[in-house]
Amino acid sequence: MKETPLSNCERQFLLKAIEEKKRLDGRQTYDYRNIKITFGTDYGCCIVDIGKTRVLAQVSCELVAPKDSRPTEGILFFNLELSSMASPAFESNRQSELLVKLNRLLERCLRNSKCIDTESLCVVAGEKVWQIRVDIHVLNHDGNIMDAASIAAITALSHFRRPDVGIQGEEVTVYALEERDPIPLSVYHMPICVSFSFFQQGTYLLVDPCEREERVMDGLLVIAMNKHREICCIQSSGGIMLLKEQVLRCSKIASVKVTEITELINKALENDRKVRKDGGKFGFAESMPKERITALKTEVAPVEMTDIEEKAKEIICRTEAPSEVVSSPVVCAPGTGQVGEGLQNSWGLEEVDALEDDVGEEREEQDMREQLEEESRNAEKGDVVVISDSEEEDVVILHEGTQVKHVKKQSVDSQQLAPSTAKRRRRRKKQVI
Amino acid sequence: MFDSFKHKVGEVVLPGDVFSFASLAPDSRVEKLICGPGLRRNGDEVLVCKSGVLRHKPPNLFWVDSQQRRYVPAKGESVIGIVTTKVGDTFKVDVGGSEQASLSYLAFEGATKRNRPNVQVGDLVYAQFIIANKDMEPELVCIDSCGRANGMGVFGTDGLLFRVSLGLVRRLLVPQSEIVKDLERLFPFEMVVGMNGRVWVRARTTQQTLIVANLLESCENMTAEQRKALFLRVAGGCP
Amino acid sequence: MHNARNAMEVESSSTCALREFGCEQSLLSRPDGSSSFIQGDTSVLAGVYGPADVKVSKEIHDRATLEVLIQPKVGMSGVRERAQEQCVRETCEAALLSSLHPRSSLSLVLQIIHDDGSLLSCCLNAACMALMDAGLPMGCLFCGVTCAIDRDGRIVTDPTMQQEKESRALMTFAIDSTERKVLMSTTKGSFSVNELQQCIAVSQRASEKIFQFYRDSVRRRYSKTL
Repeated sequence: MKETPLSNCERQFLLKAIEEKKRLDGRQTYDYRNIKITFGTDYGCCIVDIGKTRVLAQVSCELVAPKDSRPTEGILFFNLELSSMASPAFESNRQSELLVKLNRLLERCLRNSKCIDTESLCVVAGEKVWQIRVDIHVLNHDGNIMDAASIAAITALSHFRRPDVGIQGEEVTVYALEERDPIPLSVYHMPICVSFSFFQQGTYLLVDPCEREERVMDGLLVIAMNKHREICCIQSSGGIMLLKEQVLRCSKIASVKVTEITELINKALENDRKVRKDGGKFGFAESMPKERITALKTEVAPVEMTDIEEKAKEIICRTEAPSEVVSSPVVCAPGTGQVGEGLQNSWGLEEVDALEDDVGEEREEQDMREQLEEESRNAEKGDVVVISDSEEEDVVILHEGTQVKHVKKQSVDSQQLAPSTAKRRRRRKKQVI
Repeated sequence: MFDSFKHKVGEVVLPGDVFSFASLAPDSRVEKLICGPGLRRNGDEVLVCKSGVLRHKPPNLFWVDSQQRRYVPAKGESVIGIVTTKVGDTFKVDVGGSEQASLSYLAFEGATKRNRPNVQVGDLVYAQFIIANKDMEPELVCIDSCGRANGMGVFGTDGLLFRVSLGLVRRLLVPQSEIVKDLERLFPFEMVVGMNGRVWVRARTTQQTLIVANLLESCENMTAEQRKALFLRVAGGCP
Repeated sequence: MHNARNAMEVESSSTCALREFGCEQSLLSRPDGSSSFIQGDTSVLAGVYGPADVKVSKEIHDRATLEVLIQPKVGMSGVRERAQEQCVRETCEAALLSSLHPRSSLSLVLQIIHDDGSLLSCCLNAACMALMDAGLPMGCLFCGVTCAIDRDGRIVTDPTMQQEKESRALMTFAIDSTERKVLMSTTKGSFSVNELQQCIAVSQRASEKIFQFYRDSVRRRYSKTL
């Protein structure tokens, strides 16, 4: 699907507004949109909203053999997907340039910054280590996917618990969540990406660009940083020439933003932990905004099932019993079994007839149609008539009298009648001849 | 004869709801019924195929008023299009439907083969559908039947274009629309509303343009009282 | 009061009930229609685009091309998702009046948010709400109901993951809103004809609750006089 093109008018207006330090949604230049973090029922699952941008992250783990080069380290794997739900321009299962860029940036931000202790993920050196997999789905794209994805990834990783393992000699047992309390990952620090978009060759700068701002920007600078003000990764794209002061200023802004966001993440994690401990309700179902006019929720709804059995019996009684099957298995050679021996293929014969009677074809067809109609009129006494008279096997079902309501019955009927009335045209033609 | 139908007016209907007229005596069926959007005739029945509120306009026009985002072209409707390409003698225009509409360069006021209109790719046009049919490519014109522009044509060198739901657009286009009246009290501005959910706004300053755009976007699910309260607050904020 | 409460508890502990369910429509800004449907802890998010432009290779001259994508939360979609996609697509095709938008594409994306049993029925419900939100013409609505038959032969509607695992047979039906007919059925495990009929009958009963919910939520949505 194509994306709606950006009109000249929007482009000009956006640039003019940015020059005047105004943004579409009334934010200031360095403001983030509203950030919201919600946790799912599973460990390691969260949804992050930045304004209207929404991403879903889920962490999972699995025991695998370690890499040969690092036999005592666990493996971190990131997979960001641009779902076609997020934007009409995204195609699922396609490695677009944007997708590659985002995935690489995420890896650099989280794996290469060594924010997770991978050595603690080793179970048996050289044989079994945990592979931690982070799946991130972009659900709605309104700009700044990178920041949302990095927040979601680190939040999910901090929220995640892996099952406990016990080692006895050679044997490794993985305990279920009920047997032993699962273990959180050891997170050293939380790198968070902050995106800066540049306009007019770097003259103007905006934090957290929305989708339309992203479409008119000249360049993008992403700085990943943790709250200790350590830069974990930095990337500039778009080919703008930035001055040293600009980068420094960006890193200063980033440090403020990162502190704020880290605090938010910790608060959200703490909140979720408390709810889980107190045995309260948690998960996405609880976080549905009930006050919204577009949302509605019901309580547990009991289903009346008093006369279910009678109804089922009645239906079964009404259906006719399937015709007796006379099977005649034939064993023509040792080690084989066959049913339906002796039927001859009449197709080849017809083919010859058809060629010979090419001239009379039309008349015949008419005759045949008449005959069919007659037959169908006769057959109308039955419940369902299935006539199949084209090569594409168009099935026409005529309902007669009371409507046949129950699927089961219908299918039984048609099965029974089908062989008697619904023969292929060519076979029928043969009979006419 | 539409009593069964009429007392449903103003109520919410869902796809699959059926109104049957089969029980009526044949001689009373002379009256005509016009099915608007969201309603389909099926023999002696009228079938609802969209969710929304059933509306009625005397004498016999019925339709379903629904909140929808995607536009489906309809003949005679005026829309805001974005010119995407020039193909030979026609422009291809994105109107938000399933297919791009075509707009002949002769379909502008005063345009001749020599005197071509100045239309660039990316420009906005306010135009009207003369062909809009599910089986054909939709076609736009920027002139009325007398060959006059009548407000149509290329526009919007500055100002802001944004998208709202089709329901809101219809509410804006109602004659004497309450929302527009309320907005007008704030400050003067120009507005173009396309039936395809696109709205273009220009006020004296960028700030004011942005205020109008944001107010309109937030009007989507507001009752009149909520809206008035919001507008009052805004009016207090920027004298 | 006390007695009434006891009676309620017996009712809810009997196997036949739908877990609490909820839905939010139009929650995403980009798609033409979106919904998130929650049944107990199971949750699915659906987004619909269309009628939109279609690739020439997928164009059908007399109706819209419907594509359904189901995205699992972890990993790539595999055979299981493909099979579910087909079930959902066939159900949607039966309900949609796709001949009104020929040569266009309708795409429905379902993102699994959490699976705690009855996933396919939740997908179907989310799909129906999203299609309705997108304002696509439909001849009828549909809903999904999952039934499990446990080892004692009892029917459990809307089973949780745990109940699904303990069940002998599992069936999901898509039921239409006009005549309560079965639009689609898919089953797992073994069961008798009688049990199948009972499950269909139970699902038809349960579907009424869901359709009533659909109506209530649309009514709520249009409750404001704008």
